[in-house]
Amino acid sequence: MRKLILASAVLAAATATPVLAQTTTGTVTIDGSVAPRCLFTTSNAVINAGELALSGTGASAGKLDASKLDGQSRTLVGWCNGTASSMSVEALPVVNTTVTSAPPAGFDRVVNYTATATANSVNAADSSIVAGAGSPSTVGLFTGNVTVTLSGSSTPGAGLLIAGAYQGETRVTLAAAN
Amino acid sequence: MKALMITIAAAAAAMVPGSAMAQAASDTSTGQVVVNGNVARLCILGAPSRSTVDLGQMAATSGTRVGRIAVLGDQSVTLPNSFCNFAGSALTVQVTALVSTDASPVQPGFAKAVNYTASASNWALSPTAATSAASASGATPTATSTGATQPAPKIADVNVTLSGFTAPSDALLTAGTYNGLVVVTLGPAVGGGL
Repeated sequence: MRKLILASAVLAAATATPVLAQTTTGTVTIDGSVAPRCLFTTSNAVINAGELALSGTGASAGKLDASKLDGQSRTLVGWCNGTASSMSVEALPVVNTTVTSAPPAGFDRVVNYTATATANSVNAADSSIVAGAGSPSTVGLFTGNVTVTLSGSSTPGAGLLIAGAYQGETRVTLAAAN
Repeated sequence: MKALMITIAAAAAAMVPGSAMAQAASDTSTGQVVVNGNVARLCILGAPSRSTVDLGQMAATSGTRVGRIAVLGDQSVTLPNSFCNFAGSALTVQVTALVSTDASPVQPGFAKAVNYTASASNWALSPTAATSAASASGATPTATSTGATQPAPKIADVNVTLSGFTAPSDALLTAGTYNGLVVVTLGPAVGGGL
């Protein structure tokens, strides 16, 4: 009987040894990153407002026709992949490029306005009266339209507009961040 | 030595992608909406302060000049807030003598026309004036003059003065109703404009 027990113990030892030597694990770690980024895929649009002055012969003839700029809207297209991405707008005034000298009393050669950009249901706005861009708004992750709408057009002195060609610009900047 | 150079080159190449990644982390993109417009050249004359100038009785009714033209004072009309929104404009004045509406031939010693000067001022450096020179019969009643160029856009009250009322040859004036006309035009000067 004692011999049988010893034989069993030896057998157990013989079977345990191969199991301990069978398993080992190697690991390959894969790292990568995606940087925060924003991109306009449609980055330019043009508003041709036409004649900016009121017609007729009344008291307001020759002054700004606000309806020519107010309500004008154009759509840019872009995206941002960072959750803290922001959007800012800088409205540059519409200026007479034909006559560049200072206007005489009673006249204006500048049309100011407010530009509002909307992306991902978030607005960012700026008035051209104050130099520089407006406060940035967080738009986060989005892809799609960035709609720019003009409003509140005016001239500095509510005067007569000097004849000539006028040009201005609204800049929309998407800044990526996480 | 060659081996060292290769090593340095490899290290530099390895650094480049890292720099690019750092720039991408602050990536921005800018879109632009250009706004274009224009303002056409425009001149407007304000509504005259008096659309009709009534001189009343023009002939003296007593004294040594009875029947001849009396001393008629200057008449003023203002065209307020007149403007041109461009450089290079000018006033033109067209004056038509007061002529009797009676078509009958005028008799010797009589006249049925009253000449005068219309002068428009406060636009260019000097006024624009035109003087009618109708004959006793009322022929050739109209004269025209274009003034100096205003070199800048301007808004001002244009003052029109009627003065120097005379009868041809200081003849006796025939009875009747006399009508005259002054036309003031504001527009681009010849060769003027932007």
